[in-house]
Amino acid sequence: MVMTTHEEKMRTVRFRVAATPHIVVDSEVCRDSGCSLRACVYVCPANLFVPLDDGGILFNYEQCFECGTCYIACNQEGAIRWSYPDGGYGVTFRES
Amino acid sequence: MHIAVCLKHVPDPSTVEVDPLTGAIDDGRVLYMLNPADESALELALRLRPADGKVTAISIGPADADALLREALAAGVDSVVRVWDASLGPIKPAITSVLLAAALRATGLPDLVLCGGYSADRGSGTVPALLAEHLGWPAITDVTRFEIVSGRALVQRRLARGARAESEVLLPAVLGLDLDRLRLRQASLPKLMRAKHAPVPLCGLEALDLSPQDLHFPAMTLHEVMPPRPRARMMFAPDATAPVQERVAQILSAGIAGKSGQKVEGGTPEQQADAIIDFLRQRGFLEERAGP
Amino acid sequence: MSAATASESFDVIVVGAGPAGSTAALLCARAGLQVLLLERGEYPGAKNVSGAAFYGSAILNELIPNWWEQAPVERYICRRDIAFMSPTTSVALDFHCAGEGYTTPPYNGFIVLRPRFDRWLAAQAEAAGAFLLTSTVVDDVLRENGRVVGVRVRREQGDIRGKVVIACDGVNSFLAKKVGLQREFHAHELSLGVKEVLGLDPTIIEDRFRLSGDEGIAYEYLGAITEDVHGGAFLYTNRDSLSLGVIGQVSSLVERRKRPYELLERFKAHPAVAPLVRGAKLREYSAHLIPESGWSMKPTLYTDGMLVAGDAAGFCLAAGLYLEGMNYAMQSGLAAAETAIEACRRDRFSARALSGYRKHLKRRNVSTDFRAYRHAPAFVNSARLQNLYPEVVASGMEQLFRVDGKAKRKILPLARQMMRQYQLKPGDMLRDGYQVVRAYLW
Ligand SMILES: Cc1cc2nc3c(=O)[nH]c(=O)nc-3n(C[C@H](O)[C@H](O)[C@H](O)COP(=O)(O)OP(=O)(O)OC[C@H]3O[C@@H](n4cnc5c(N)ncnc54)[C@H](O)[C@@H]3O)c2cc1C
Ligand code: SF4
Ligand code: SF4
Repeated sequence: MVMTTHEEKMRTVRFRVAATPHIVVDSEVCRDSGCSLRACVYVCPANLFVPLDDGGILFNYEQCFECGTCYIACNQEGAIRWSYPDGGYGVTFRES
Repeated sequence: MHIAVCLKHVPDPSTVEVDPLTGAIDDGRVLYMLNPADESALELALRLRPADGKVTAISIGPADADALLREALAAGVDSVVRVWDASLGPIKPAITSVLLAAALRATGLPDLVLCGGYSADRGSGTVPALLAEHLGWPAITDVTRFEIVSGRALVQRRLARGARAESEVLLPAVLGLDLDRLRLRQASLPKLMRAKHAPVPLCGLEALDLSPQDLHFPAMTLHEVMPPRPRARMMFAPDATAPVQERVAQILSAGIAGKSGQKVEGGTPEQQADAIIDFLRQRGFLEERAGP
Repeated sequence: MSAATASESFDVIVVGAGPAGSTAALLCARAGLQVLLLERGEYPGAKNVSGAAFYGSAILNELIPNWWEQAPVERYICRRDIAFMSPTTSVALDFHCAGEGYTTPPYNGFIVLRPRFDRWLAAQAEAAGAFLLTSTVVDDVLRENGRVVGVRVRREQGDIRGKVVIACDGVNSFLAKKVGLQREFHAHELSLGVKEVLGLDPTIIEDRFRLSGDEGIAYEYLGAITEDVHGGAFLYTNRDSLSLGVIGQVSSLVERRKRPYELLERFKAHPAVAPLVRGAKLREYSAHLIPESGWSMKPTLYTDGMLVAGDAAGFCLAAGLYLEGMNYAMQSGLAAAETAIEACRRDRFSARALSGYRKHLKRRNVSTDFRAYRHAPAFVNSARLQNLYPEVVASGMEQLFRVDGKAKRKILPLARQMMRQYQLKPGDMLRDGYQVVRAYLW
């Protein structure tokens, strides 16, 4: 199993999901700014950003690597509120 | 009021990878965590503790279990105890409950024992009841809600098919909990720092006044754990000698039409009944009974 | 050395138990200081991703003699392979050294897996007397009269005081930004690395890569492997697995609308890579940012009561031939520790008192290396250097070696044809040549 789908990749990662999200995407900012770049959709290594027809974004924090790429790539002020999850929660790499 | 909570280290199921061919588990990749049901029980105990009350956390296991008990200390329990002995190997619920009972006696019997109903690894769910047996206390399992009112626990239990039962029990008692998941509170920084190197008292068999013989009873032995394997399913194949249209029809009907039946016609009711019994017997649905 | 005790205040608070933080904590604790080491992961290394080819063996050996005998290392690196790729071809520079210090102690480099290695390293700091707290996020620093006097962790009663705070919190360094030592980064200054660990039987690894015993090999790939995204790829041999990954500049991932994990799949399918990974089974997928722009991202390195080290200070040499961050993290961590120790001895913690950090960074070759390679990041950001030339080289070689009955061409006419084909202008090539020379030769 050398070649794997993204779902198969994500299944190998261990997450301890915190009760509250550490990243919040303000879909309204995405929509109202008419962001056509949609950087987040392409760069997120966990593929957590789902573009919606109305220009908004559907986001789920649960399988996030906490890498910070989305926050760096998005250039709409206020679209992404980013922080680390509470201590001990979030991703736990075992081998990487 | 003194509440004791039993804690167990379990492998996080999302890190357990079973080799589908050999059934072997890759030990190097397993991460352990506090059993979620026990976590809920611990958090509940801390919430229930009255101002003059006390919560004790107890765990059975080798030195790794200290981490778990320190986590409990950091979260605010008043005392902890670990039970282990060099002579112990992997232990079964029957022995766990003997050890727990002995440890509770040795460290001062509480008014209430809370156990997570099922552990994420074995999930036999038998410890609460066995423990109560050894203590000579009542046990209530599958508790979804309870409150303590003047020395009694008023309890709601989960029954099969979503039914609920309400009962009450005089303390001391053992409750096996089946709560919605409660997360253990985040420890405050000072408590976390104090717990980091806090000593965790250890009870060996001697301290518990047990001998290895006491733990020797005929219990079930687990030989092997096998991953679930999907059962081979019979695929319907059309009759190869039939003409094309018929084969297509057979396939489209998924073979339902092809199931052979037999109509029992004529004869007395007794004869008809015999015919049905014969039919079932031929197909192995009924066992042959020897004589009347 | 005394066991660490919980106290109300510490001499040194180190944020982040990566290679920078753990070495800093270790050195400070050995000097007899009260050290608090804070890590947000469940254990040190839980959040950390590298290749990881670790070239800091000699540095670590000064602190812990023969450290590799007790540390979780995978293999020592006796071969390095740099491959220039076109979509179908690869030309590799194979560097094999059995010389002193490569295959003998202290070894030039080791391949490690970060969650295991970082955990071990933090345990060494603890053994030296540092007080390690995991599962603890630092949210801010405490300030009094404009001076940093401690940190605030995300827990009840989470304020804790320390005379010096060393921020080793990695590439996103929120701490340095909060204090105003670092600005927000731009997408062209960072690269995203996505990585896989693929399990493979040790005997297959040894046969396939022609290794014996604990020998290991590090492959680096340039060119078509990341398509038109600025970046590269790597493949390292672990004991019973392979670590491989693709690195892409964030801005060019956005521009080209490439998904990093798809690049990773294409990398594994490349004809030069596929046979190396055949039969391996995915064990873990991961991702992390890399500060690519080195010197130009360097924050102000210290202020009253605080120092910044490791990735947080941009001390990661990620430029074409090199991907070295762990060793510089350690070197800068040590320099920060030396500065903190001096400050504690003199009981002075103002920015001026901490300015010795520069001297220590220089003595540990951090600032000198980063100054020397300050032009190298431009290399990464140049499409021609990073992607085109390697591809030209690879496809040029392909034509050079092709035997198809047609007239054989000599190198010069072939080169001219390649230039035409790839629309290379002599002026650009001269300029690029100068860049390479400036970046790597002097
Ligand atoms: C894909 C990839 C491959 C790489 N390959 C190599 C390689 O082969 N060789 C090499 O030398 N380098 C490599 N690097 C670079 C290397 O990983 C980094 O340079 C190195 O890890 C930097 O070490 P550090 O200690 O500064 O930071 P990190 O290792 O990032 O450590 C920072 C620590 O701080 C913790 N932390 C962060 N914020 C907080 C907070 N607020 N509170 C508490 N804790 C916090 C983090 O959890 C983490 O443990 C690679 C990087 C990547 C992404
Ligand atoms: S999060 Fe940023 S990049 Fe993504 S759609 Fe919204 S505005 Fe655009
Ligand atoms: S931090 Fe990284 S993994 Fe998490 S959502 Fe952003 S890009 Fe995706």
